[in-house]
Amino acid sequence: MKLRLQEWWFRNRSLIGFVFIFPWFAGFIIFDAMPFIYNLYLSFTDYQIGTVGVPPWIGLENYSEIFNEDKLFSKSMYNTLYYLGYSVPLRLIFAFFIALILNLRVRGMELYRTLFYVPSVVPLVAATVIFAGFLNTRYGFLNQFLVLIGAAPVRWLSSPDAIKPSLILLSLWGFGAQMIIFLAGLQGIPEDLYEAAAIDGGTGWQRLVYITVPLMTPTIFFNLLMGLIGGFQVFEQVFILIGTHGGPLQAGLVYMLHVYNKAFRDFEFGYAAALSVILFLIIFVLTILLVYTSNRWVFYGDAQDNET
Amino acid sequence: MKVSRLFGLAIALMMLLSLGLAPTLAQDCEGEVIELEFMNWWGAHREALMDTLIGHFEAENPCIRVINQVQPWDNRAELLATAAASSNPPGIIMSTRPETYQFALSGLIIPIDAYVEAEGTDISVFYDGEIGLQYWNGELYGLPMPTAGLISPLYFYNKNMLRDAGFDPENPPQTWQEMEEVARAVTVADAMGVEVLGTSLGNNGDAFVFWLYTNNGKYSSDDGRTLLFNSPEGVETLEWMVNFTNEINGGVENMTDFFQDVNFSQGDHPFFDDALAMLHINSAAFGHLNNVEPDLYWDTDSWGVMIRPYNGDNPDAKHTGVTGYNFVGAWAYTIPAAHPPEKQAAAFKFAEFIGVHELGGCAFLFAQSRPSPVQACNENPAYYEINPYWDKVKEALAVDTPVQITPVQGQLAEILTNSVEEAFFGVKSAEDALNDAHAEMQALLDEFWAEFDANNM
Repeated sequence: MKLRLQEWWFRNRSLIGFVFIFPWFAGFIIFDAMPFIYNLYLSFTDYQIGTVGVPPWIGLENYSEIFNEDKLFSKSMYNTLYYLGYSVPLRLIFAFFIALILNLRVRGMELYRTLFYVPSVVPLVAATVIFAGFLNTRYGFLNQFLVLIGAAPVRWLSSPDAIKPSLILLSLWGFGAQMIIFLAGLQGIPEDLYEAAAIDGGTGWQRLVYITVPLMTPTIFFNLLMGLIGGFQVFEQVFILIGTHGGPLQAGLVYMLHVYNKAFRDFEFGYAAALSVILFLIIFVLTILLVYTSNRWVFYGDAQDNET
Repeated sequence: MKVSRLFGLAIALMMLLSLGLAPTLAQDCEGEVIELEFMNWWGAHREALMDTLIGHFEAENPCIRVINQVQPWDNRAELLATAAASSNPPGIIMSTRPETYQFALSGLIIPIDAYVEAEGTDISVFYDGEIGLQYWNGELYGLPMPTAGLISPLYFYNKNMLRDAGFDPENPPQTWQEMEEVARAVTVADAMGVEVLGTSLGNNGDAFVFWLYTNNGKYSSDDGRTLLFNSPEGVETLEWMVNFTNEINGGVENMTDFFQDVNFSQGDHPFFDDALAMLHINSAAFGHLNNVEPDLYWDTDSWGVMIRPYNGDNPDAKHTGVTGYNFVGAWAYTIPAAHPPEKQAAAFKFAEFIGVHELGGCAFLFAQSRPSPVQACNENPAYYEINPYWDKVKEALAVDTPVQITPVQGQLAEILTNSVEEAFFGVKSAEDALNDAHAEMQALLDEFWAEFDANNM
C-alpha cells in the first residue's frame, strides 16, 4: 500500500507541485495579471467615471496627450527621478553602514539591532505624521537643532526648494528592511576570508573594499532593484505630508500622485491607466537594464567557481 | 469564566438584542423595510446630531431605515468615486457641486425634478442662490444642506488684538486698505517666520476668486462658457494679494508655516491663542468655536464678526461673498442611478427631509449655530440666543454671489491655483500668471463645451 502510494506520488509529482502553487498562481492571475491586462486595455480607451458598457476605444490618444500636452507628466517624472536619484543611494548607503555596525561583536548587539529595526515596524502614516512635526519650521526638532549650531532654519514643507529633500529625508526612515537584508548578507561572508586578509596585513578599509563590498554585491543589487521599484511608486508619505496638490509649486508632485489626481480628482480613468502603463514600462526597462549590467558588477561566487 | 463561555454569552446577547430590535421596525412598518446607506462627510463630531436627524426621519418613515455611514475625510476622492461608480453604490450620497455635476454628466445620479413634482416638494423655500447651484443642464440633482453661502464672506476678528494695536474693536476693517493698516500694526515676524499674524489672504485659486469679487471682478460669464478672471480687476487683485503677503507677512512660505498642523475644529489654532487678529473662515466656524471654546464663544468683548473687506479704491467694489465656486461649497444629497425605483424614492424622501423639514437640516444646522439654505429656518428668533452675531450672518448671506461652474471645475481650479502660486513665488508676474492660466483653462473649457454641445444636439 505504502509502496503504491509512493509510486503514485512519484508519477504525479508535477501535478502535486502544481496543486501546491495553485493558491499563489490563482492569486497572481486574479489580482495581478487580470488587472494588469485590463489596465492596459483601459489605457487605450476614454474610460471615465460612469462609463456604461464598453468604454470608447481611442487608440493612442491618451499616450499622445501625455507626451505632447501634459505638463504635469514631465514635472511629476522629474520630481520622481530626483527623489529616486537621492533617496535610493542614500538609503542603501545608510542601511549598509548601520548593518556594518550591527555586525560587530559587541555586548547587547541584539538590543541595538531591535532598536534600529523598530522604525520599520512603525506604520508609514504614523511615521509621516511624526516627520511633519519634526520638519515644522518654528517648533520642529530639525530647525531647532540647526539654529542651535548657528545655521539658518530651513522651510522644509513650505519652500519649493526644500520639499524634495524633505521627502528624501523621510525615505530614510524605512531603512530597516534593507538593513536586515544587508545584515543577513554580511553574516554569510566566510570568516576565514577576513582572517586571511588580516594575516596579509589588510587594514579595516581594505577588508571592507576588497572582501565585504564585492561579496555583498548580490545583496546590494537586490536592495537597489527593490529600492528603485518602490521609489518609482512612492505615494503614501507624499500624500499625507503635502497632499494631492504636491506642495508649493507642485515641487513634490510625484508620478503616482499625478496618476491619483487624474483618476480620482478628474475621474479620467483611461488616462490614469495610460500613465500607469508608462510607469510600468519605465520600471520594466530599468529592471532589465539593471539585470543585464549586473553581470559586470555583481559578484556571484558560485558562477566564478564553476568557471574555474 | 472561560473565554469561550464569555464569547458564547456575548453572541447570545447580540442575538437577543437583534431579535428585540427587529420587531420594532417590523411592527411599525406595514411592508418591506428599505435600507438606505447614507454616505456622508459630516464627521464623527457631528455623528450624534446626524443620528438624531435620522431618528426623526425614521419615526415619520418607519419603512425606511437609514444607515449613517460617516466617512473619513482622508481619501475622500477615491472613496466617493469608487462608491458612486460601483454597481452597488450607497443609497444616497453627500456630494459637492463639482462632483454632483460630474456624476450628473456621467449619468451616475438621477435628476429629482419628477420626485419634486410628485411629492409636491416646495423648493421655493430655499434661497434662489442656494437651490440654483444644484441644477445642471436645466435639471435639479440634489437638495442643498448646509448653505453654499457663507463660505467666503465672513471673517472673525480678535477684539483684544485690535484694541491693543490702537484700533477701535467695534469698527473692524471694512476695506482692503483698512485691513492692511491693522495687519501692518499687528504682525510680528522673525527669521523663523511669523509669530503674530494680522491676517492671511490665502495663496490658492479659491482665495484669489474670493478676493476678486470684492474688487468687482468676475470668475466667469453667466453661462459658464467664458472665463473672465484675468480682467484688470483680476490682475489688480492678485498683485494686491502678492504684495500684501510679501510686504506684511514676509512671504507665502511664512503663511504655509504659520498654518501648518492647525485645526480650528479641534481648538488647535492661532486664533485661540491671540496670535491671529483676523481669520477668513466659513460659517461652520461658529459651531466649532462653541464646541471647543464655549466661554470665548459667548465673550463678545473678545471677538467679533465682520463681512469680507472690499477694495476701497475701486468705487464699484463692495462687500461680496462667492458661492458654489470652490470644492467644499454647495453640498447636496444625490441619488445614484444604479438603484431600483423604490430605493430611489426612499432616498428622495430622506433628501427632502434633510432639505426642507424643520427637524431635518433646519434643526441640524441650528444646533451648530449656522444658517440654513432654507430662508424660513433662519428667521427663527432663537438663533439670536445661540449665535451672538446672527445679524452679521444674515447680512453676509445677502451679499453672497453665485458663480457658474462646469463638471471640469476640479481641473480648472487646479490650473488656477498653480498659476496663483507662481505669482506668489515670483515665478511670473500677476498678469502673466493669470493670462497663462486663462489660456489653458479656457482651452479646457472650450473642449468640454464642444463635446457637451455635440452630445446634446
